[in-house]
Amino acid sequence: MEYDLPSDFDIIVVGTGMVESIVSAAASRIGKRVLHIDSNSYYGGLWASFNLDSISKIPEGNRSQPVVENKENEIVYPVGNDVFDLRIHSQKWHIPESNPEKDVDESDSAVAQEEHEWTQEKLLKISRKFNIDLAPKLHFAKGDFVELLISSNIARYSEFRSVSRILTWLNGSLEIVPCSRSDVFSSNRVSVIEKRMLMKLLTSCVDGDENEFKGYEGKTFQSYLKDRKLTENLIHYVLYAIAMCTDDTLCLEGVEKTKRFLGSLGRFGKTPFLYSMYGSGEITQAFCRLSAVFGGIYALNQSLNGFIYDNDNTFKGIICGKQRINATHLVMSLEKLPKEIVDFSTTEYISRAIFITDKSILEDEREHLTLLLFPPVDRKAACVVLELGSLTGTCPKGLHIVHVFTKQTVNPEDDLKHCVEKLFCKREGESNSSPSILWSFYFSAPNTFSQKLECEKLLNTYVCPGPDLDLDYDPAIERAKEIFERIYSNAEFLPRAPDPEEIIIEGEDNNNIINETEERAEVPADQGDVSSELAHEDDT
Amino acid sequence: MEDFKFLFKVVLVGNAGVGKTCLVRRFTQGLFPPGQGATIGVDFMIKTVEVDNEKVKLQIWDTAGQERFRSITQSYYRSAHALILVYDISCQPTFDCLPDWLREIEEYASSKVLRILVGNKIDREDREIPTFVGEDFAARHNMYFLETSAKEAENVEKLFMKIAEDLMQQARNKDLSRYECSTTNITARTSSVNDSSCCSKLT
Repeated sequence: MEYDLPSDFDIIVVGTGMVESIVSAAASRIGKRVLHIDSNSYYGGLWASFNLDSISKIPEGNRSQPVVENKENEIVYPVGNDVFDLRIHSQKWHIPESNPEKDVDESDSAVAQEEHEWTQEKLLKISRKFNIDLAPKLHFAKGDFVELLISSNIARYSEFRSVSRILTWLNGSLEIVPCSRSDVFSSNRVSVIEKRMLMKLLTSCVDGDENEFKGYEGKTFQSYLKDRKLTENLIHYVLYAIAMCTDDTLCLEGVEKTKRFLGSLGRFGKTPFLYSMYGSGEITQAFCRLSAVFGGIYALNQSLNGFIYDNDNTFKGIICGKQRINATHLVMSLEKLPKEIVDFSTTEYISRAIFITDKSILEDEREHLTLLLFPPVDRKAACVVLELGSLTGTCPKGLHIVHVFTKQTVNPEDDLKHCVEKLFCKREGESNSSPSILWSFYFSAPNTFSQKLECEKLLNTYVCPGPDLDLDYDPAIERAKEIFERIYSNAEFLPRAPDPEEIIIEGEDNNNIINETEERAEVPADQGDVSSELAHEDDT
Repeated sequence: MEDFKFLFKVVLVGNAGVGKTCLVRRFTQGLFPPGQGATIGVDFMIKTVEVDNEKVKLQIWDTAGQERFRSITQSYYRSAHALILVYDISCQPTFDCLPDWLREIEEYASSKVLRILVGNKIDREDREIPTFVGEDFAARHNMYFLETSAKEAENVEKLFMKIAEDLMQQARNKDLSRYECSTTNITARTSSVNDSSCCSKLT
């Protein structure tokens, strides 16, 4: 059945990426009339997750480029630009298309699985068991994102799994980074003296007073660690894995990063990180769901034909098919910005690789969710490697999805080569203990966070950046909050949504509208309830 | 601890206007909401029922209007134990859309989800889809079938009780696919199914 969209809103949000979705949820939450549309048939834009079949078909950008239309008193800008598109570098299978002999008795799939003779055909048949992120994210257990999910009560839409180990590459092999107290003390890679040194250092990073870092204002974190007489191994663990720094990172920044890591330890698991079940693409949907629950109107797969501005360049509305829809404010993702308006180009890219592999980079009795922080070597930037198993709901049993990414300097393949070569089998069919790559996908994604994205030319128009290099969503949340506060300067940003038990629904006379939600949400007892649940923290 | 032993997530899908919200409201609150107003702020409704002397909590999720422009989030289907697909027996197009809905369910819901087909509004005189057509469709797609009237409270209780009983049976047989023990629900509120030892660890 075809429905027409309503034709008048307070705010129209175009694109369902992370920043857009948070703004949409926040606006709906305070009672604004929100229209949230996306030209794609899926949620998430550049932040989405795909099954195997659909990720192999994602377009790099296929928009038409009509010309600017001038009507009486109004200008209609066309939608979209090609400055911020993904650039696919290569996508390859490293296994045969099918296995004719085996395919005869298809019913015997259990046997085939056991033999691990994967073919393209077999993987594509279970395509929907894959949820492959374009922009994989982890969440610091006490980071801004987790705190926002809890304070806004959006956490109920998602499930998480904790990262079970953190690895680094040290002296030519993978090493488990001892990051919690119990890890430090159970590690046999770290001597007793080192254990004490490490604990002392970590404690002083967290609790240290100003004097601890006096004189290090202009110096590097590495020099601080050296002055503390840490052994080389320990410096490696702290600098590259725990603080995720480079050799040039300044001391105070390194201390901050160490704090961010340590502060999230001991809340939900052995490491400071959580990962969203079924992929990071679920997260934008959680915010969209909240927006819809509070009245936001959703339309995916929506053809968007133009943005309407008046002669003073104030936003008036959009054209959707043949329909004109008016609103006061427009929030859109960067790639939707009219080409005529984009007077800057992306200079920064993220080099990304995604692999399907046949076993873990470091095999263990049980399945792990692994974060590997591959240190910078020979002027190559550090790489983040995230390995996901079937327990995350992102790939079938027996396989792993591996994401590798870094700041781009040359191109995705060259930027990641040194890391990839060390972790995986070099050639197809070569048998050693390293995992084989069954499928590989290299692409470049624009990193637009560092750019100034004020839309000065167009009034009442706000632009949302795409995914960045941060491990978590902190910059996205910050940007969304900034946009929200610029539009609704005195409103509360995502106050806690009430639980169903707290909602009292009016009876026959009130058109199903629910009163009471606001007042209830403010009751301190409820707040206390939530925080007390969170107070059961494991003192690792 | 709360005083229920089982918690199941039930989600409703189907075209706009087939009476999904009315079914939920009839069951959870015993009323039939008049008018077409959207339900602002309601995520899901909860009702605790008793099956074989065990308390079973049903968490029933509605679409939040996202079905109107075919924009239901995939995450809506995740971890659902039962899925109710609703059409309006007096409106052929809502029946014709069922294959589209099934495709979406196949794609995003667990393969083990309990699926129920419901023809709603049997109080209406202008029926367009005969009962046997619905029955036939359900049988072909391996779904349980029921015709209901949220307005007259017909078969609504039966529908949800049937779901509770079936899910209990599955849970007893340890057949439930979802809510593996080690996922983290970061509020602990909406935690999970089965015995309390297994869920929502906040360690």
